[in-house]
Amino acid sequence: MAEVIEIKEEHHVDQLPTPNNGEGGENSALNISYGKTMMWYFLLSDAFTFSAFLISYATIRISQPWWPDPNVVFKSFPFMAHANVPLGFVSVMTFVLILSSVAVVRAVQEGHRMNQKGVVTWMFWGIVGGVFFLGCQAWEWNNLIHEGLRPFYNPFGPNEAGKTTLFLEKMAMSPGPVAFGALFFGITGFHGFHVFTGVCLNVYGLIGAANGPFHKRGHYEMIEKLGLYWHFVDLVWVFVFLAFYLM
Amino acid sequence: MSGHLTEEQYKSQVAAVWKSTLWLSIITVVEVVIALTLGHLIPKFILNLFFVLASVLKAFFIIAEFMHLKYEKRAFIISLGVPLIFLVWALIAFVVEGNYWLHLNFPK
Repeated sequence: MAEVIEIKEEHHVDQLPTPNNGEGGENSALNISYGKTMMWYFLLSDAFTFSAFLISYATIRISQPWWPDPNVVFKSFPFMAHANVPLGFVSVMTFVLILSSVAVVRAVQEGHRMNQKGVVTWMFWGIVGGVFFLGCQAWEWNNLIHEGLRPFYNPFGPNEAGKTTLFLEKMAMSPGPVAFGALFFGITGFHGFHVFTGVCLNVYGLIGAANGPFHKRGHYEMIEKLGLYWHFVDLVWVFVFLAFYLM
Repeated sequence: MSGHLTEEQYKSQVAAVWKSTLWLSIITVVEVVIALTLGHLIPKFILNLFFVLASVLKAFFIIAEFMHLKYEKRAFIISLGVPLIFLVWALIAFVVEGNYWLHLNFPK
């Protein structure tokens, strides 16, 4: 209350309205543009969606006496038939997505300097990284489907035979926990859909930067908003990577 | 942050981003190496705790530096961070329930 009164007094003295109190006017109390604010709150809601999926995964996984070992399930590498490279391919994917995110950060920074060519170059590399990631994911899905993984069938069963009689009875529907396929395809698929959307939006950003409409506006805020979305996709992958590949 | 930057500010920001990139890469490599080598030596609980903490650290670098949240107003950061308390609660509640199912279905 005291602050509000102070501002009003100041207003009387200087005869200059200073709408920095967040009660309207062009400056927001949070000193962040409307577009970026809304992108942040959309990403917050999206974080809740992904968390709901990942928490379901955790619940089902912890309720099972046995779960497929990621070092056994994710051991294939392209162009290396019968190779045994546990986590090799997914590490490459993770690294590519991080570098793609960095490229978009660089595009945002070049946008602050109004360097059109820099924005275009870095956005291009960001898109290349996203497309590469999607290609990797397609290959991985294809590979796992060939190995027999389905949304309701999991061929990755316990290695040593017979834990308890009851345990094997419950596993009778498929060699491993049935939910594994549905959770894997569902969660990595939903993330992949976000990557695909992000790539499409980044292509729009690249075109807008290259053709000049963003430059004419005098700022590259659109690139910043697209960047926020793209980093969020990278952020989600950190936790998908944790849940499916590391633990 | 829509204002235009001086050359010095620009250079320090670029350096900060590459530093974060380096940290993200190092953490990821350490995670993968530990998952491959120490997977059967260290108790599962400690191993998973390490992976979770490392992932939260990676998330911090992405949110703070790449998404630039570190440089926004504190009120804005709080408005985004506080709702996440619900997720922490949901995670604890559901994991406890999952553990209960395990003992219900597979006694002993």
